[in-house]
Amino acid sequence: MVIDLGSVYNFPYEFDKVFNEVFNPRQYKRGKASYPPINIGEDEKNVYVHAEMPGLAIEDMDIEITAKDLVIKGERKLPEGRYFRQERTSGVFQRIISINTLVDVDNVSASMKDGILRIIMPKAESSVPKKIAVEIE
Amino acid sequence: MSNEAIKTDNELEKISPATDIVETENGFYMYMDLPGVGKKDLDIDVEENVMIVKGKAATSVIEGEKYLLQEFGEGEYVRRFTVADIVDSKNIKANLKNGVLELFLPKIPEAKPRKIEVSYS
Repeated sequence: MVIDLGSVYNFPYEFDKVFNEVFNPRQYKRGKASYPPINIGEDEKNVYVHAEMPGLAIEDMDIEITAKDLVIKGERKLPEGRYFRQERTSGVFQRIISINTLVDVDNVSASMKDGILRIIMPKAESSVPKKIAVEIE
Repeated sequence: MSNEAIKTDNELEKISPATDIVETENGFYMYMDLPGVGKKDLDIDVEENVMIVKGKAATSVIEGEKYLLQEFGEGEYVRRFTVADIVDSKNIKANLKNGVLELFLPKIPEAKPRKIEVSYS
């Protein structure tokens, strides 16, 4: 008689997964949202885009900017081998972010630190708010 | 003062980092996604057969920046692993690069696969 040991072997993992989904809803959720997750912020001078992309270097991705959109695309490759457990996501990704502020396309800069990409887009002169002095009569 | 520090630590959202484990003849390679965690905020403890990895993800916000959209934030990565007896837990190696923690857990020599020679007669 041949017993499929594979299914027995998977049991602790499957149990662990169900347990974690019930008691720790935050786990595995990150992979289900659009990849990469981003934060967008601004101050008076710049628009900032932060993206969480662990394991990627600037060379592994393409960042394109047009007057309207910012496109981040690339591929995340995982090491080859016999996987004992696999939870990290891999493959080709693309994210298009619409910008509704005029930015100085030629002076956009990008940097990467601890797996977080930061793009700084200086606002074009015309979109920096100007204070209008109001005279009260 | 010290009580306050503990309180803020508890308030940080706990995140279980996505982990891959690859087995080779010599040991196990583990890859853990820890975006936003710097070397000084990472803590790896091995006690008997339990390994605990903890890391605090720093906030990405720049001073004076107002968020318009937020999909990820600061938090504390925590994950506990039971290390099998076949791992030489004194020689675990760790390397943090681009927000990914790479761990190598070598197998003890007795656990490595042996080739069995077959002789013809």
